Amino acid sequence: MTETIVEMRHITKRFPGIIANDDINLSIGKGEIFALLGENGAGKSTLMSMLFGLYEPDEGEFLVRGQPVRIDSPNQAVALDIGMVHQHFQLVSNFTVTENIIMGVETVKRRLGIFPAVDLKNSENKVAALSEQYGLEVDPRAVIDDLQISERQRVEILKMLYRNAEILIFDEPTAVLTPQEIQFLLQIIRNLRDNGKTVILITHKLDEIKQVADRCAILNRGRLIAVRDVRTTSTQEMARLMVGHDIAFTLAKKPAQFGEEILRVDKLTVENEEKYEALRQVSFSVHRGEIYALAGVAGNGQVELADAICGLLQAKSGRVYFRQTDITQESVRTRNLRGLSYIPEDRQSVGLILDFSLQDNLVMKRYYQPGFRKGLWINREHWQSYAKRLSQAYDIRSANGIQTIVRSMSGGNQQKVIIAREIDQDSDLQIYVQPTRGLDIGAITSIREKLIQERDHGKAILLISLELDEIMACADTIGVLYHGSLQTEAPAGQLDLETVGAYMMGAKHE
Amino acid sequence: MSKHMGKKPGWFLRLLGYKKTQFLTIPLFSIFCSLLAIAVLILLIGKNPLTAFQSLLQGSGWLPKPNYAAGKSILTDLLDMLDAYTPMLFASLAVALAFKAGLFNIGVSGQMLLAGFAATVLVGYQDFPAGLAKPLVVLLGFICGSLVGALIGFLKYRFNVNEVVSSIMLNYIIQYVVGFFIQTRYVDVVSRQSRAIKAAARLTLVDVAWGNMKLRLPLLFIPALLVAVLLYFYLKSTVGGYELKAVGLNRQAARYAGIKVGKRLVSSMTLSGGLAGLAGVTYYLGYYASIKPNELAALGFDSIAVSLLGNSHPLGIIFSSLLITSLDKGSTYMNSTVGVRQEVSSLVTGMILLFSACSAYMRYKVDASLRLALAGFAGTAAALPQQDSADGSGKGGKKA
Ligand SMILES: Nc1ncnc2c1ncn2[C@@H]1O[C@H](COP(=O)(O)OP(=O)(O)OP(=O)(O)O)[C@@H](O)[C@H]1O
Ligand SMILES: [Mg+2]
Repeated sequence: MTETIVEMRHITKRFPGIIANDDINLSIGKGEIFALLGENGAGKSTLMSMLFGLYEPDEGEFLVRGQPVRIDSPNQAVALDIGMVHQHFQLVSNFTVTENIIMGVETVKRRLGIFPAVDLKNSENKVAALSEQYGLEVDPRAVIDDLQISERQRVEILKMLYRNAEILIFDEPTAVLTPQEIQFLLQIIRNLRDNGKTVILITHKLDEIKQVADRCAILNRGRLIAVRDVRTTSTQEMARLMVGHDIAFTLAKKPAQFGEEILRVDKLTVENEEKYEALRQVSFSVHRGEIYALAGVAGNGQVELADAICGLLQAKSGRVYFRQTDITQESVRTRNLRGLSYIPEDRQSVGLILDFSLQDNLVMKRYYQPGFRKGLWINREHWQSYAKRLSQAYDIRSANGIQTIVRSMSGGNQQKVIIAREIDQDSDLQIYVQPTRGLDIGAITSIREKLIQERDHGKAILLISLELDEIMACADTIGVLYHGSLQTEAPAGQLDLETVGAYMMGAKHE
Repeated sequence: MSKHMGKKPGWFLRLLGYKKTQFLTIPLFSIFCSLLAIAVLILLIGKNPLTAFQSLLQGSGWLPKPNYAAGKSILTDLLDMLDAYTPMLFASLAVALAFKAGLFNIGVSGQMLLAGFAATVLVGYQDFPAGLAKPLVVLLGFICGSLVGALIGFLKYRFNVNEVVSSIMLNYIIQYVVGFFIQTRYVDVVSRQSRAIKAAARLTLVDVAWGNMKLRLPLLFIPALLVAVLLYFYLKSTVGGYELKAVGLNRQAARYAGIKVGKRLVSSMTLSGGLAGLAGVTYYLGYYASIKPNELAALGFDSIAVSLLGNSHPLGIIFSSLLITSLDKGSTYMNSTVGVRQEVSSLVTGMILLFSACSAYMRYKVDASLRLALAGFAGTAAALPQQDSADGSGKGGKKA
């Protein structure tokens, strides 16, 4: 191996009730792409947060370029040429790309020799040059507001590069991207390596690891299980190391048995908050025992559609019928009570109250129902037993049981909280937007199995996903949304991956 | 890391860092810091800080004074203080309740004034028997306050008017409209305030003879404490409290959960206004018996800080109000005996509030240095950073 750039010695990190990292010893070579793999809550984010100075280890030490270092803040990390792209971007949305990038490290020039001013011109050139060098395709003068998620992510990368980062940490960068964007990002990551940078990549997607990574470390419940050379390790083996047992990659799925129509959307037009028609004249229906999957590139009206069906967004025109009843004007609560579950795309700001405990989040759709309340009072014992049952059934891992504040839980486990809560309502109509985002493969398989199981129990399922794999694996019927309208619709057997992909990019329906 | 390696953190740091009691230790520490700062100040002006603090406590009826005037005793002082305490408690609870719902009720003093004025005119100047007048005053106070609160809530919900802006505007409107009516119709020519209300309507019994003493009895003192306890249980254990906190913490998620966010906002602001109204009647028709025109009670603004000091927790506020009122009430006596100007007590209050406003930062600092100290000290770390608010209501993280 080449020279070591980061070394971890006996790194241990405890949180109350849990050992997030347990005596980790790792060395990462200069110029390699190093992947971190592990189940939800295995401690990947924690380990990287320590390297980036967000937490400090309880025991052990980091060596960077052979020197023992204490990284007690992100500033310290940046000084050591370490950069990190977080899942939630940290950009000022009405500033330009360049302004965001240079914030805090502005070069100052003096107007008329006296007045200090930010030297935007030079910075812009530098940003443009960096963007060029690594193939990032970012316009330094664009305003963040106008950029898509994937572009914002690339701005974050530029931010690191601008600060001369040599070691770049990515925490689940592909969770928010479309398949095309993922390929683009992976190419960028390769470019980074080819330019001598070291990349640490956290991801749950084995094929991505296979595509770009050189080596891969596997964590399980805080412990380092193995470090493998990616080329000589099969994805099957990685998965087995990670979960501890073999997992089936293919889903067993009986042919669908369609029943009565549960949801009918009729010429639905919806405006988003900016008064832009995000959804135009969309009509389709979902039956009992059917998984209707909507494919589409992010931002083509999927979220608006789901929000409108659930009553979070007002329909501008058109109707929504639930079991033949017009529910277009009904409140969110009424629709819930009719039997509608919704797993929203944005788990942190819509699906969860991060400062509530796990228990309080699990009862969020039920707290007002009989059994959960005694008159005006909440029935705390019942809340507790209910929360305990759900967290066991859905394998939600948290440090302090049901009283854990959700904010402190790992990303994947937060997602499981929502899934558990929504599936458990036993609703006739279940809407899933990106249900497996951020989940490990074990959890993904089990969620997809649940989904099919729900279908077999006669539920109607609307699955909205950016991942074609997921759509192809689960769908009975596939619809494709493009620019807010339904591009095509067909039984799953009649569409292959390429065709769906083409429709997603706007190919016309014959 | 090496610098701290293996050094056991001091007892003090561990005490402050212990999450389960942090809701208590951090405010106490802020109070201590501010007292210390004031002590230095008093030293600088050549007085003895200890006697100054002692006289503060004597003035508010916690410690006996060396001698009392006829008909006075430590009990009269204490009851005087509690008389001032009652409106402060109501007002701070009003702020805290709104805060839990994610709203900032900065209009407490306006709501107080309107409630006080309406009760004064409609009941205070009429010839009702005490048994009717007093409940009426309370009811009227609550209703007037809630109406103002409801209006603010409604503006927020319907037209998305920021509640801070609308409360401040309403403060002005109420202040001058009420001032106008007092000056044109209800003024007492000598005192230039509104005419004193009839004793029957007053919520404080004055001159209650007991032995050779004349006592003041704030009738709503016990009810105010009860309201605080009720509010605590409301937030902690009721369905409505759950919804209110959900709305306060994340409006989008609350909407998604099917909670009628608008209704919650309006109802919380209504309740908050109602509590402010109670503060108003216990203040203008209890502690005082008349209204100064064109002036808002400073108490209404102090209550924001008191609520902050009490961590917006109803039980915490019982104590923070007590502290601030005591300091305030003791200051006159301190002025006359020690010669430290009365303003110093406002300074103490200000300092405490300043320090408590920094409590989130303090907590962060303590945690950080504790972590450092513990980095080399295996074993103890696990016992430390507990997430607070296990009871589901004490929210430390979300400060102003
Ligand atoms: N600030 C915190 N306070 C308490 N516990 C925490 C905190 N951060 C993480 N944890 C706990 O540490 C464990 C590891 O979390 P971490 O976020 O590192 O997992 P992860 O491997 O990134 O998982 P995921 O794939 O779901 O993102 C989890 O059990 C989590 O609940
Ligand atoms: Mg993570």
